[in-house]
Amino acid sequence: METRLEIRDLSKNFGKKQALNRVSLQIEQGMFGLLGPNGAGKTTLMKVITTLTKKSSGEVTLCGIPVEQCAKVRKIIGYLPQEFSMYGNMKAYEALDYLAVLSGMSKKERALKVPEMLEKVNLGDQHKTKVKAMSGGMKRRLGIAQAIIHDPKVIVVDEPTAGLDPEERVRFRNLLCEIAKDRIVILSTHIVGDIEATCENIAVLNQGEILFRGKVSQLLEAVKGKVYMTQVSAMELPVIQEKFLVTGILTSGSSASIKIISEEPPMKDAKPTGPDVEDAYMYLMHQAGGPRA
Amino acid sequence: MFGTLFIKECKQILKSMVYYIYAAVFVIFLSSQLSGDLTDRMERPLPDQENYGQTSSHEPSAVMEKILANLMLETNRNSYATYPMGFYKEVTLNQRELDEVIQILEDCSGKSWEELTEDMEAHFHKYDQSSMEGAMAAQTGYSVPARESLSYEEFNRNMEKICGIVGAGSSYRKEAIQSGVSVPMTYEQAVEEYEALCEKDRVTGAVSRLFCDYAGIILSVLPIFLGVTRCLRDKRAQASQVVYAHEASAFCIIASRYLANVCMAALPVLVTSFVMQTPYQYHANTMEVSPDPLAFLKYNLVWLLPEIMIVLAVSFFFTELTESVISIFIQVFWAMASLMGAGTLAGDFAFKLVVRWNALGGTNEFLAQRQQLFINRGFYFLLSLAVLALTAVFYEKKRREGETLYGKIFKRRK
Amino acid sequence: MEKYLSAGSSFIRRQYAPHLLMTLLFVLMSGFFISFRNLDEVQAAKVMEMYAAFSGILLLTPLFLPEQDREIWLLEKSKATPLWKLYLLRLLMAAVILAAVITLFLLRMRQGGSRFEWGELWLGSFSEILFLGSIGFFVSGITNQVVLGYMASVIYFVANIGAAKHLGKFALFQMMGRNYGFVPVMLTAAAVLGAAGILLREQPDR
Repeated sequence: METRLEIRDLSKNFGKKQALNRVSLQIEQGMFGLLGPNGAGKTTLMKVITTLTKKSSGEVTLCGIPVEQCAKVRKIIGYLPQEFSMYGNMKAYEALDYLAVLSGMSKKERALKVPEMLEKVNLGDQHKTKVKAMSGGMKRRLGIAQAIIHDPKVIVVDEPTAGLDPEERVRFRNLLCEIAKDRIVILSTHIVGDIEATCENIAVLNQGEILFRGKVSQLLEAVKGKVYMTQVSAMELPVIQEKFLVTGILTSGSSASIKIISEEPPMKDAKPTGPDVEDAYMYLMHQAGGPRA
Repeated sequence: MFGTLFIKECKQILKSMVYYIYAAVFVIFLSSQLSGDLTDRMERPLPDQENYGQTSSHEPSAVMEKILANLMLETNRNSYATYPMGFYKEVTLNQRELDEVIQILEDCSGKSWEELTEDMEAHFHKYDQSSMEGAMAAQTGYSVPARESLSYEEFNRNMEKICGIVGAGSSYRKEAIQSGVSVPMTYEQAVEEYEALCEKDRVTGAVSRLFCDYAGIILSVLPIFLGVTRCLRDKRAQASQVVYAHEASAFCIIASRYLANVCMAALPVLVTSFVMQTPYQYHANTMEVSPDPLAFLKYNLVWLLPEIMIVLAVSFFFTELTESVISIFIQVFWAMASLMGAGTLAGDFAFKLVVRWNALGGTNEFLAQRQQLFINRGFYFLLSLAVLALTAVFYEKKRREGETLYGKIFKRRK
Repeated sequence: MEKYLSAGSSFIRRQYAPHLLMTLLFVLMSGFFISFRNLDEVQAAKVMEMYAAFSGILLLTPLFLPEQDREIWLLEKSKATPLWKLYLLRLLMAAVILAAVITLFLLRMRQGGSRFEWGELWLGSFSEILFLGSIGFFVSGITNQVVLGYMASVIYFVANIGAAKHLGKFALFQMMGRNYGFVPVMLTAAAVLGAAGILLREQPDR
């Protein structure tokens, strides 16, 4: 069975509101980043893939299984929802064991896998901590453990780094990359940094439509030669922000050094500079008619 | 998967405060109701006792004269007690309706309304109405004999007409008439009762029945809270999304939770019942009766288990459907209606949720009505399975849609 | 004053509405279950004690519902208005609605030609029903579980059917026995339970 997720012409309506509009994507093995502003339809897309929401039209197949066959699909997916939690009075070990049972794992498998997974997500020493006593980061790690324990082909993680401190965030990204070696990991986020550090293939979703689909380098390509750095006085800032797409401001005293994306050099003393993913993303959103920052 | 989930669920229940409150309240309620010694009510009757208590009779002439007496009293006051939805509702008739009832009364008794009123006044005049005992004796002693030529079939047809006039849930409905009327017991009947208690019930049966009577009251309410707590737990812990995305089928999830709750809810009931009937195992021996050691188990399984099952199934259903506490209101209301709507405290099982047999003994009478009890409990047993299946179907649907009925109704307010 | 009004109305719209709806339904449906016509003093008391009593449970128990969510609780705690004022406001509001419901029941019985002492029955019903509801309020407050609150008041009600004699002045259903001596006791108890529920809830280590 090929590890491949295919989405063709997927639409989803909530009443009159269209959350997803003819979305098509092919996702292969490895990390895949789904980027978009809040309310772009990322969570809806995740939920369709994980059988939690019915699609209105279109086709979704996971490793050859159409998403309508819920029971079969659930067997090969792992899902970490945006707000993961478990029964507060369960200990880490119990919670993971309970969810492993729901994944249909036998007693023998669980006895082997549960401690292994806890170790992997760095909860080995805290297997007796109750869920209600866990920090946000610990809960996330427990969440990822339950998403991978049954060795699924497709793992879907929704906004996994929201609420984590920088150190935890880095550790979490690394963990995801490690897991993605032999399966699909779909990472949905509105934090560009998460994608930059981990994913090669990405898609950008806005207002239910795919704005961009390709490699990170391609996204950067589009904005190459359009990013400029310059020094302006703080007084001028509002006017400049009105006129240009400003992606970065560093104020020091009465002057500010700013980063501008523009087709032409915005002013005489502006120097071209290398783009990062955030610039490329902002440019893309700007072209799609999004806000100016 | 099912077995493991079941065991894990049981362990979870053992950690929940609601369960311990459930068990404690059950034990306290039962011990407060059944604390007295029942043995003095199990003695062989003596020939010269003043009275032997009441018994119920199905003999047509006895039934007719008692029912007609009740009709006479209620018509005289123009106040009819009915229990249409379980709660007491008084019905007052207008003149045309009243005339119709009087006509039926005259036809059944073969006497005119004036004669009937005179007889009644004469009867009640004989008693001292100011004392409680006197009033009760007057009430129980009063009867209106039917005319000789009145057949039982005709009587029943007439009572149907009365039901049409007075409305649903009156004392003249078919089931109420079928359940018999209360008449004083004779010495021979009392001995017969005693022998049935020893031979057919073997003492422990009668004790277990009384236990079930009280336990049935509280079990119509208590398990609701177990069910509601369990079903709201996923929402409270924000765990529903994770659980939904797992492989386990809706039936497997719901049924394992349900079964665990049923078993754990039945556990304190069985233990309490066993403890409470144990002294009577010994007492039976002193009466030279060989007791039925498993009577409590039989009664618990037939009488109380289906009740626990249906109460839990309904609470699972409404709570999964709405993800709210609405089930508590609906079910407490149902239980109260069933409890307070009982026309009699022993028998007349029909399809009531709470069935009563608030008597130690009444063995022959109980055995005569036992079939009705089996039908009632069998019905609830099957109904709870059906409700459970429906819950699982709905759970699977919710899993796919991510919405509840309640959510749809109230979503816009948020 | 304005902020309390808006806090109160926001609570009604966002969390209390379904419960008010249930109460309304409960009042509207009463005609199917019980009769309001030609009742004497005891029968009228029975309507209030056995039926109308549930409105207390319906109205008073869910008052802590929004704060059952820890996030909301923490957020509200950080605001300038102390939480106890909010709770007290809700409790008073629920008591006013309860008073209206009781008045409605008595009016319907009066219209049906029932005979009873208006002031006595009103005050008796109000204190008894408020007391029953405040049990739910108190328990849901200290345990932070609304279900336990309902459980406590419902069990108290059911227990009274069988074991009222052990409860002295705290026993329900006394008006049916033409006994009104419980009024001051229950009013005090309701006030104590209400205050204790609010105070104990806000202990730091909840």
